[in-house]
Amino acid sequence: MIKLHPTDSDLVDFVEGTLSPAKSLLVSAHCDMCNCCREKSEIFTEQLASKVFDEPEQSTSILSDFVNMFSEITEDEELASTNNNGILANPSNVLQQIIKNELRDSRNHPNLTKSDALYLDGRKFILPKTLIRFTDRLGEWSKLVGKLWQAQIDIGNGQLAQFIYMEKDGSIPEHTHKGNELTLVIDGEFSDGISQYDSGDYINLNSSHTHTPCTASEEGCLVFSVIDQPLYFTSGWAKLVNPLSNLYFKVNSGQSISISKS
Amino acid sequence: MLIGIPLDQKRNDTRQPKECSAEMSAHLDTVAKQRCKVSFSKVFSYFAPRLRSYALKQMGNEALAMELVQDTMSNVWQKAHLFNSEKGSPSTWIFTIARNIRFDMLRKLQNRKEDVCSDDLWPVLCEQTADTKTAPLDEQITLEQVGHYFDDLPVKQKKVIEAIYISGKSQQEVADELEIPLGTVKSRTRLALQRLKDMLKEHD
Ligand SMILES: [Zn+2]
Repeated sequence: MIKLHPTDSDLVDFVEGTLSPAKSLLVSAHCDMCNCCREKSEIFTEQLASKVFDEPEQSTSILSDFVNMFSEITEDEELASTNNNGILANPSNVLQQIIKNELRDSRNHPNLTKSDALYLDGRKFILPKTLIRFTDRLGEWSKLVGKLWQAQIDIGNGQLAQFIYMEKDGSIPEHTHKGNELTLVIDGEFSDGISQYDSGDYINLNSSHTHTPCTASEEGCLVFSVIDQPLYFTSGWAKLVNPLSNLYFKVNSGQSISISKS
Repeated sequence: MLIGIPLDQKRNDTRQPKECSAEMSAHLDTVAKQRCKVSFSKVFSYFAPRLRSYALKQMGNEALAMELVQDTMSNVWQKAHLFNSEKGSPSTWIFTIARNIRFDMLRKLQNRKEDVCSDDLWPVLCEQTADTKTAPLDEQITLEQVGHYFDDLPVKQKKVIEAIYISGKSQQEVADELEIPLGTVKSRTRLALQRLKDMLKEHD
């Protein structure tokens, strides 16, 4: 039973496309697991759409722009005039490239290369479909202190997203959070002295939380976690499970940020 | 160009999408099946100006707003066959297309490279089955024939195909170079390849 959900305002921001990419990823994965939030998202989308398109439209001054745009859009399908500007390349190359491209496309077909599950500790974890799209970007699993495993997904500049797997009886020392650390429980359950969390729970922790996650579940627990603010990778899962890598402490300028040790 | 295709801009359409949702669905269906420009002009006249107002509020920039409108409406024109009236209204579908394009435009403006893109979150326009299983190109076709077909492509499609397949540029690079929206590059590529395949098939 899922107890923790994104707020309605997060869902609205998500469907409007204004939530940060990292947070959107987590909300999207939660919606894959949670009927209630998925339905809400659909309703919010409809509401936003009707807000945008219900308004009577007054403007007439830009008519010519729209006429141009209309023909630009639709003329793509019109047969070409005969002039080809003399830039035509060797047709045999074109054919070869097109065939190569076809082959590449078929190899890249999601159903062929992306796995819908993670295999860990002799178990199979079915992933929410949003995260399946990222399995081809998943790094190696590494074993960390205690009974923790971690694998990162590259989602780009300064943003950390990772799977964390806690074996049975695994635990993480007490810590607090800076910035927003969002965690989605993929499979299993754990508790942290504040609450008990179950599969599908969407956990939003910030600096006001101090906790000690541990799992006593026979099955262990797989979670997916993102940091909303790259500058604050100094605590939480990120620090505890990944104290060695400087990679993730870079901001967009490429400048490194020192890691404060406590 | 626009001969015989009226854009109902001046009529100040005050109907709500709910009232004309069925009508717009029917137009989209006609666009999908018959590439009907008259039907598309109805859809375009209704949605494009409203989308522009929204985009202007969101992006605060006329050029970006118009790029968003063009990219969105271009997708509506190219991918009308993916609209499913049982899943939702035309306005919801068009809103989600615009939302996806805007999400990707903003990422691009922020110079994000490897990142989460809108297709990862909302696969609104994924061609699940339609295009993937078309017959492979027949290698019996002689190169001269392909050259001939290639000549028949619209100039704009030819440019895009050459840049991508001959010069090995990415779709984004082509978009930047030709100063056209990424969606337009994608749709031109798709249309050109489809056209080549069709021509090769007809030849069989
Ligand atoms: Zn939920």
